[in-house]
Amino acid sequence: MSLLRGLGRSASLAIGMLCALPVLADDITVATKYGDVKVSDQIQRIVTVHEGALDAAFALGFEPVGAISTRGGDGVASYIQDIAKKVDIVGTSRETNLEAVIAQRPDIILASYRLPAEQYALLSKIAPTIVPEGKGIRPDGWIREMRVYAKALNREQKAEEIIAQVSDRAADIKHVLEAKIPADKRGTSLIRWMPQGALVLTTQFFSNGLLAQAGFDVTDADLIKRGRPHSSPLSLENLSKIDNDWIFMATLDEEGQQALAAAQQSPAFARLDVVKRDQVVPVDGQLWTSASGPIAANAILDDIQNLLDTKVQYP
Amino acid sequence: MRFWFQSPPAQRSIKSTLIPVVLLLVFCCLASLFYGAGDVGPSEVVAVLMGAGSDDARFVVTELRLPRTLIGIFAGLSLGVAGALMQSVARNPLAEPGLLGVSSGSAFAVAIALALGASTATLSVGLAQLGALIGCFCVIGVAQMQGQRNDPIRLVLAGAALSSLLIAMTSLLLLYNERAADEIRFWVTGSIAGRNVDQLLSLLPSFVIAIACVVYVARPLASLALGERVAIGLGYKPGRIRLLVVFAVALLVGAATAIAGPVMFVGLVVPFAARALVGPDIRRTLCLCLPIGPLVILSADVFSRLVAQPAEMPLGVLTAMVGAPVLLAIVRAHRLPTL
Repeated sequence: MSLLRGLGRSASLAIGMLCALPVLADDITVATKYGDVKVSDQIQRIVTVHEGALDAAFALGFEPVGAISTRGGDGVASYIQDIAKKVDIVGTSRETNLEAVIAQRPDIILASYRLPAEQYALLSKIAPTIVPEGKGIRPDGWIREMRVYAKALNREQKAEEIIAQVSDRAADIKHVLEAKIPADKRGTSLIRWMPQGALVLTTQFFSNGLLAQAGFDVTDADLIKRGRPHSSPLSLENLSKIDNDWIFMATLDEEGQQALAAAQQSPAFARLDVVKRDQVVPVDGQLWTSASGPIAANAILDDIQNLLDTKVQYP
Repeated sequence: MRFWFQSPPAQRSIKSTLIPVVLLLVFCCLASLFYGAGDVGPSEVVAVLMGAGSDDARFVVTELRLPRTLIGIFAGLSLGVAGALMQSVARNPLAEPGLLGVSSGSAFAVAIALALGASTATLSVGLAQLGALIGCFCVIGVAQMQGQRNDPIRLVLAGAALSSLLIAMTSLLLLYNERAADEIRFWVTGSIAGRNVDQLLSLLPSFVIAIACVVYVARPLASLALGERVAIGLGYKPGRIRLLVVFAVALLVGAATAIAGPVMFVGLVVPFAARALVGPDIRRTLCLCLPIGPLVILSADVFSRLVAQPAEMPLGVLTAMVGAPVLLAIVRAHRLPTL
């Protein structure tokens, strides 16, 4: 059976390649949320209006000319600033500056699955706009998105290599983690610290997916209501509900360390067991709670690896 | 409706009104200690008060609920008295620090500080008070242009315009600085959760000065209510009295805003209820505002903890829900009295 299927697959691949050959010099058709979109295979100027798209485009070897600023910042997220020095800002995650997009004379616009139809109608008049299908927040959402962008940019094979590389790396880290941390000490929550208390972020989050892949047991402590991405800010009286083996803590700006300092001023936080054990890990909120894509995934895995190398001793 | 604005025919003695109100306040203080968004219930609280109880319960009662109750008492007192003073000096039952832009002036000053890098934990009270003072002068200045002092609607319109201008400017600031936005969002709706007693203690000096001012101006203010000529005839200087009142209001509102955020409508509801109980005399009103202010804030706060467990609702949302109907009732009342 599997032999047959394999034969079929190679046959269809061969046919596909045969058909693709004459098309190569022409157009690529991409299935998107708003229907099939035709793009040229000679793309020079890419504008991304989604942080994950900027990340994916760079990872695939392109240099986008325009991007939106990260939440809580004026420019692109700090983790990608070195790579994306020359990118012009064309808006924020809430609002795209259409005139700035037009000024970039894009060949293609890469957007998030959350792009509303009205916005799509405007952007697609400027250039072919790629909006992947989306099914809400999913830990592997970035992979689905990346495949669509890669198809539009004609780099599908490279995308698969990158995706495999990320998951291999996560598996490697998981080996180390399982050797270092006993099975009942791997409970983890990702929180955002607010002045009035803490917000628990969904286990379906991009960074939480990577934590899980790297071997942590990610929970939301049953605090997130169905249909909501995150919990409401907890009352200080209920802060003990987030007490866990590990806490990863982010704020909207990049300075996780400052957030930790602010949190520790709150007596209700300082008395949590996880704080006393010094197992609260401050992380860059731009990277951990706003970004997505393979470069971000690697940066997050860097953080996890670094944690295992420096903070966790072999038992 | 009219009954509410006129002094009851045989004015009840202030004592017979104060006693039940104070009892009610004591009841509210206990509720504020007994109930919260967490799992610590009344029986555990009693155990803690008797010196027993678990560590968790002790922490919740002594470190969270007790400071919160004290801060609620303080903020309610300040806002209630400030509201009564403003209404008396503006001769307008709608004058209220929240509506007239005094609170938003204070909040704007705080937002500037946050945008420049301060954190809510280290907010300067003086700054909030300075903002309140400037807000006070702006609104009185605008309302007195062209000399139509006794037009209550004009004052409220001026206040509303100033208020929205300041709120817009605050949002503009926050737009440029999302960290401050994150920090300030909860604070802007008003809340007495998570503040500590140290912050409260730092407010006390200015609070004492403000109350001293209030005691000093209470009698002249009452005679001013009889008309400027009567006050002058009795040897008071109306200009100086008004200046002292504005000063006291700025100190009180600034201090309350620094610790609880701009809690709207308390300054409207509290004197309104006080006048309804004991009549329009400012001295009696002020006396009664002392227990009613904390009563209003504490009951709203207890409710705010219980409606959204395990999270909490911002206090300011609840006071607005109670205050807005009262505002409409006053405006719709058959005769809008000038005080």
